[in-house]
Amino acid sequence: MACSFPEEVLEHVFSFLTSQKDRNAVSVVCKSWYEMERWCRKRIFVGNCYSVNPRIMIRRFPEVKSVELKGKPHFADFNLVPEGWGGFVYPWIVEIARGYPWLEEIRLKRMVVTDECLEMISKSFKNFKVLVLSSCEGFSTDGLAAIVANCRNLRVLDLRECEVEELSGHWLSHFPDSFTSLESLNMACLLSEVSFSALERLVARSPNLKTLRLNRTVPLEKLSTLLQRAPQLVDFGTGAYSAEIRPDVYSSLADAFSGCKNLKSLSGFWDVTPAYLPAICSVCSLLTSLNLSYATTQSPDLTKIVGQCYNLQRLVVLDYIEDTGLNTISISCKDLRELVVFPSDPFVADADVLLTEQGLVSVSQGCPKLQSVLYFCRQMSNSALISISKNRPNLTCFRLCIIEPRAPDYVTLEPLDVGFGSVVENCKQLTRLSMSGLLTDRVFEYIGTHAKNLDMLSIAFAGDSDLGLHHVLSGCDSLRKLEIRDCPFGDKALLANASKLERMRSLWMSSCFVSFGACKLLGQKMPGLNVEVIDERENISSIPECTPVEKVYIYRTVSGQRFDIPDYVRIMGKDKDGVYDLS
Amino acid sequence: MDVTLGLLDHIPAGGDGGGGVESGGSTTARSILTGSKEDNKNSMVMSSEVTSSYPVVGENLDDLELGLGLSIGGGGGGLRSKVVAGGGWSQYARILTAKDFPTSLVSKPNSCSSSSSVNIPNSSTSGTKRAATDSVSPPNGTSVVGWPPVSKAHRMPSLANQIKSPTENFISKPEQNKSKNRTVGIKDYSDERNGISNKKYRSVKVNMDGTLIGRKVDLNAHTSYEMLAQTLQEMFFSRWSSTEAIKPSRLLDETSEFVLTYEDKDGDCMLVGDVPWQMFLSSSVKRLRIMKNSDCTELGPRFQENNERHRTDSV
Repeated sequence: MACSFPEEVLEHVFSFLTSQKDRNAVSVVCKSWYEMERWCRKRIFVGNCYSVNPRIMIRRFPEVKSVELKGKPHFADFNLVPEGWGGFVYPWIVEIARGYPWLEEIRLKRMVVTDECLEMISKSFKNFKVLVLSSCEGFSTDGLAAIVANCRNLRVLDLRECEVEELSGHWLSHFPDSFTSLESLNMACLLSEVSFSALERLVARSPNLKTLRLNRTVPLEKLSTLLQRAPQLVDFGTGAYSAEIRPDVYSSLADAFSGCKNLKSLSGFWDVTPAYLPAICSVCSLLTSLNLSYATTQSPDLTKIVGQCYNLQRLVVLDYIEDTGLNTISISCKDLRELVVFPSDPFVADADVLLTEQGLVSVSQGCPKLQSVLYFCRQMSNSALISISKNRPNLTCFRLCIIEPRAPDYVTLEPLDVGFGSVVENCKQLTRLSMSGLLTDRVFEYIGTHAKNLDMLSIAFAGDSDLGLHHVLSGCDSLRKLEIRDCPFGDKALLANASKLERMRSLWMSSCFVSFGACKLLGQKMPGLNVEVIDERENISSIPECTPVEKVYIYRTVSGQRFDIPDYVRIMGKDKDGVYDLS
Repeated sequence: MDVTLGLLDHIPAGGDGGGGVESGGSTTARSILTGSKEDNKNSMVMSSEVTSSYPVVGENLDDLELGLGLSIGGGGGGLRSKVVAGGGWSQYARILTAKDFPTSLVSKPNSCSSSSSVNIPNSSTSGTKRAATDSVSPPNGTSVVGWPPVSKAHRMPSLANQIKSPTENFISKPEQNKSKNRTVGIKDYSDERNGISNKKYRSVKVNMDGTLIGRKVDLNAHTSYEMLAQTLQEMFFSRWSSTEAIKPSRLLDETSEFVLTYEDKDGDCMLVGDVPWQMFLSSSVKRLRIMKNSDCTELGPRFQENNERHRTDSV
C-alpha cells in the first residue's frame, strides 16, 4: 500500500514524537517512514558510545541538533573501572563537528573530555547552546574558558559531579560583556574560587537565568547579593552555607530568599550552620526539589525545614534525617515522588544515626506518590520490604543498599529473598532495582518470574549459583542493563543466555566466576557483542583458560571492536590483529 | 568444551527454565568431583581457615557435589539452587594441596568473625554464601573496593569524625577562608596538577616475592593501612594465589612472615605503615612489594637503617 499522506503531513505528525523509543518504532514501519523519520530526527541518544560509530549516526540522521552520549559503565562511579578504560569523546567531537555544523546541544555522561574537545566544541558550532557534562573528567578550567569565551549563544553550562583540573578561577571572567543569553549555570563541582564581581555582573546581565548552582567557595554572606540580582531564579544552589551568626546577614539572606517567587529547587548547603537554615523558610512551600545531601547537621534542624516543604516532590538528604525526620516527611510531604538518603559515614559498620528500615516504611505509608527510592541503611527485614511493596505498588525505581554485604533480615536472620520478591511481585511497573543484603538464588527466581518491566538491575554479593543469573537473563523480558559484582555466577548461565545479551545494552560482571575461556567463546560466537575482559594482573597469558576474569563488560555493538583500549583490556574472540586470543 | 558449546546450541527461546542448563549431567565432571572428595575436603577445610571469605563449610560433602565444574572443560552436573556455591572453589582449592597447610592453623583474625553478619550456625543451608572476593568488614570499616556504592561526590565527612576521604583534602573550609585574603582567586592546586589525590584512581603495582603474577591496587580507594592490608591479603593470600605456605598473615604485623614495603620516589625500599595514612597517600609511592621477612634482614644497611629510623618515629 502506497503511503497516502503527503510528506509534510507525516513530518508534522512525527514532530510530536519526542521519545527516541517512539521514533525508533516509527522508523521500522516501512521504507518511506524510515526515510521521513531520519530526515526530521533532531535529538539522538546513544546509551553506549561504543555501540555505534559516529559516522553511521551522521549518515543516517543528517539534521540532528542535539546529541547525548554515555561512556563508562555505571560501576565506574564506584572505582571499579580502572583509569584509562575508555569513553573518550574526542573521536565523536571530530565527526560531529564535521557532520553537524548547526549542532546546538551536547550532553555527555561518564566520558573523558579533554580541553581540546571543549575547544573544538566552542569553535565548531556557531549556534551552540547547551553543554551538560555529568561525571566527566579529563578537562581543566582552560577548556571551560574556551567554551565560555567562544560560544556566543550559550544557554546552558551544566557540570554535574565532574572532575576538573582547576588551574584558575578566571574561566568565568571569560564570558564576554555582550553575553546575555545564559539560562543555566551549574558549577557546584568546582573547587576553585571564581571572581565574585565577575559572577555578579554575569548574573546581572542574564535576564533569562533560571538555574544557578554555585560552588562551595561562594560565601553565605554574598548570597543575598546574587539573589537580589536574580529573583527570577527557579533552581538555586548555595555555596558553603556557614557564617558567623549575625542578624544583619541573616535578615538580608531571608529577605533575598523571600524575593524569589519562582524558586522551585534548592541545593548546595555545604558545611551548614543550622541557625541559617530557617532563612529559606519563606520559599519552603514553593519547593518541589530539595537537596540537603551535603548538610551535615542533625535531624531536628533538617526536619524543621523539610517539614515545611508541603509541595516537595524530590528530596535528597543524609541519614542524619533519621527515622523521626522521615516520619515527619511522611506526614508533611504528601506529594513526594522521589526519596534519596545517603549515608553520612559509609565506611563504618556501626553508625550513630538512628536511621533504620522504619524510616523508609513510614515514607512508603504516608506518601502515596512515592515512585523512586535510593536508600542506604544498616538493617532491613523481610517484613519491612513486604510492607513497603504493599504500600507502594507504584514504585518504579527501588534501590536499597544495606551497608554490610550479605546482611540478613536482622529480625529473623533469614535471607531477604522474600522481601525483594515481594517488591518485584507487587510493584509491577518497576523499571530499576538494586539489591543488597543476604540473597540466595531464590530471589532471582522471583525476579525472573515477576519483574517483566525491569530495565536495569544491580546485584552485589548475592546468589548461590549460575541458576540465579540464569533466572534473570531468561526471565526479565525488558532487561537492558545488568551489573553484577562479587556473585558466584559463572560461565554456564552466561553462555546459555548468549542471545539475550544481544537484546541488552550491556552486562557488567566483576569478581564473579566467568572464565577467560567462556569470554573467548562468547566473543567468537557472537559477532554482535564486544566481550571486554578487564584484568590488571600481569602475565595473563600464563593463566589457565578456566581462571575467572577480574571483570568482564559485554555490550552489543554495530561498530565492531574498539581500538582505544588500554593494555589491561582485551576484546575476546575477535579475529583481528592485536586481539588477545587465549589459544 | 563440548558441553559448553552445547549450551549455546540450546539457547532457550524464551524462558523454558533452562533445560540445557539443568540436564546434561556430565558424568565426567561429577566423577572428578566425587573422585577427589578427600582432597576437596581437606582443601576446603584448610582453605576455609585461610581467609575470612570462606565460611566454615563443615563436613557436608553434598555441598561440594554442585556441578559447577566450570573449570573442568565445561558444565555438567545438576544445578541445585540449594547448594553452596562452593563447587567451583574446589578446583582452585586443589591447587593448594593439603600438605601446604600447617596442621595447626591460626584462628581467623578477630575482625572477620566479629563483624561478619553472616553468622548463621547451620552452614550447609543457603545461609553461608561465598563471594569471589572477601566481603567481611572489619569493625573499623569495610575493606571492599567500591562498597558501599557511594559516588565520590557523596563520600563526605561526617559530623562525628572529620576524617575526610583523601580526595577531599584540598577543599578549603570556609573557616579557613575567613582568615585568608578573600580576594585571592587562584589557589594552589599543584598537588592536583601532579595527579595526586584528585585523580580518581591511583593504581600502583604490587608484587609479592615468589609470585609470578603481579597485581595492581588503587590506593585512593582505601582509607587506611588496615584497608590496604586487607585488600592485599585478599589478592595474594586467597584462592587465585598459587603460592605455597599460605597463612593469614597480617601484613602490618611485624611478627608475620611477610612484610609490606614500598618504593618511594628516590627508589628506596621503605616499610609501609610508619607515617600517617594521609601522608603516605600524598607521598610518592611507585610500587608496593610484599617481601618475606627473612629477605628483609638480608637487605643492605640502607634498608636496615631506614627500618630502624622508622621504627623509632612516632606514627
